[in-house]
Amino acid sequence: MDKDYKKEARRQYLRYFRIWIVIIMILAAACAGLAAVKAGGRSVERTNMDAPAERVYDYADVLTEEEEEKLRGHIDSVERRLGIDIVVLTIDYSVEGQDAKEQHGLRYTDWERNMQDIADDFWDQNRFGYDKGFEGNGVLLLHNWYAGQNGEHISTSGSVERAFGISEINKVLDAVDMYYDTDPYKAYKAYVDKVEELLSGSVPSIPWMVVVVVPIFVAVVYAVSHLSQSKAQKTTAVNTYVAGGRPEFRDKTDSFIRKSVVSRTIQTSSGSSSGGGRSGGGGHHRSSSGASHGGGSRRH
Amino acid sequence: MYFRCRNCGGNVVYSPERHGMYCPYCDSEKSGERAESGSNELTVCPNCGGEVPVQIHTSATQCPYCDSYLIFNERVEGKYAPQIMIPFQIGKEACKQSIREKFKKCLFAPTDFLSEARLDSMQGIYVPYWFYDYDTGCDFQGEGTKVRVWRSGNKEFTETSFYAIHRSMDINFQKIPVDASEQMPDDVMELIAPFNYGQLGDFSPEYMSGFYGEKYNMDSDVVENRARQLMNEDALKLLRESYGGYSTVRTIRQDVRVRDSKVAYGLLPIWKYVYRYKEQEYPFYVNGQTGKIVGTAPISTAKVWAYAGTLWASLTAVMALGRTLLGLL
Repeated sequence: MDKDYKKEARRQYLRYFRIWIVIIMILAAACAGLAAVKAGGRSVERTNMDAPAERVYDYADVLTEEEEEKLRGHIDSVERRLGIDIVVLTIDYSVEGQDAKEQHGLRYTDWERNMQDIADDFWDQNRFGYDKGFEGNGVLLLHNWYAGQNGEHISTSGSVERAFGISEINKVLDAVDMYYDTDPYKAYKAYVDKVEELLSGSVPSIPWMVVVVVPIFVAVVYAVSHLSQSKAQKTTAVNTYVAGGRPEFRDKTDSFIRKSVVSRTIQTSSGSSSGGGRSGGGGHHRSSSGASHGGGSRRH
Repeated sequence: MYFRCRNCGGNVVYSPERHGMYCPYCDSEKSGERAESGSNELTVCPNCGGEVPVQIHTSATQCPYCDSYLIFNERVEGKYAPQIMIPFQIGKEACKQSIREKFKKCLFAPTDFLSEARLDSMQGIYVPYWFYDYDTGCDFQGEGTKVRVWRSGNKEFTETSFYAIHRSMDINFQKIPVDASEQMPDDVMELIAPFNYGQLGDFSPEYMSGFYGEKYNMDSDVVENRARQLMNEDALKLLRESYGGYSTVRTIRQDVRVRDSKVAYGLLPIWKYVYRYKEQEYPFYVNGQTGKIVGTAPISTAKVWAYAGTLWASLTAVMALGRTLLGLL
């Protein structure tokens, strides 16, 4: 008898959770399948053949030959996965002031606009872009190592320009800044990795904290809600045992006696406040060749 | 006494579904005839002679040997003769069904809680009740206020009007039921009410065949305070309702007088199901006329942990897998 009930309890339990079991199995299969496909190597076909093969232009000479080689290898694999060009450009000259403007043929005298021009022009002139040579998909990091003008500019194009807003560009710059003064190679690798992370995780992922906390909360609410039972309520009314359902009135009088009136002055307060706002703009602009770029700089 | 089938000699019982006597052995209706015991001994079954365990207040029970339903004459006659009763309107099967219906969503109850074997142990009991009638006169005198507030310019005016309130009413309370059984918990008996008095009729022992019963074991004057308390509370509530609409009411005088009272003895039908779980009893009472259920299902802690734990694990797994999947896409 007891055994039968244990069996029945198990049956009920499995029946109750069958949908969950099916969902978990489907998700697990989907994960396994996708992981297998990924491991098999997904790569995007390159369609732009105009651009040079070089991706690391270390004019400031902050990387060793060996580091450059490693960085090229890393960029190559990420590029094929994401279908974008990833370029690193380092320079070591002044881009600020009248002298610099004349000496390097720059358009402006201020650091930020010149950095942007140099990055965008380098991209456009080399016809970078994974899919095409004009407004193609990709990103370029320009790092100026000139003393007193150290800083980076990120120039984005095509799909990366569309995917990256101010916050993404700042995240990439943050990643570079973690290492640039101690280990430039690590800084540029962090740039490549951050770009990959941001582009492949373009669907905002759920924080692990939520994955842990939400089910605990739901399980507790579920248990508590199922523990409560509707108790029997009193169903007798005040007139349940009264013959005819209501009393018989012999007297029902309400006589007015007197009234009193008091008044008070109402204090009114006036005044209003208005809030101001400022709308921020994106980093989108056109370069001298007419191509659209996004981006942002940070000076140290 | 017990009721014997004229056709087959089987024990005839009252069927709530058929609203009449019926023989479960040969299926014939209205074939019951009253058979008396040859012995004066209560504990000897008049049908088979077996020894029947009879408790001190039992007025009707079932013989454990021949399953005949027996009614003890001396506990339903003379000073124990009920004047009125409501026969069972809900049969055992319907009662089981309504208990199943009510508790089927009770996920954490033990698995066998609603099992046929357990539910079949429920008993229909005729519970002894005293019914009190009170002819009352109720008076109220008080002072009420009505408040009106309005604005004019930057001034706010508050006008308070005072009224003298007089109420005088006759309330005729009829058949306030109070159970006359020590065994029945008072709070449950109050919750199981009300019974529909439209089906109240004269007592007849036929209705008891097929059920258990008790004679009154608390005298009417011992339990009357419960009826008087209810009468008093209801009368004051009715008075209060009659002067609603005032902002405030100050009572000057109120009074509930009983001009005449009467008491009657009767039986009301109640199904009782006792579920034993981990050495504890969980009783359920069902109004044998209206089907109202009073009782709380036991909780199996093992089930709570298993179900809540599985839900937690499943949800965590789904979220973790979902997260991984999003990352892979």
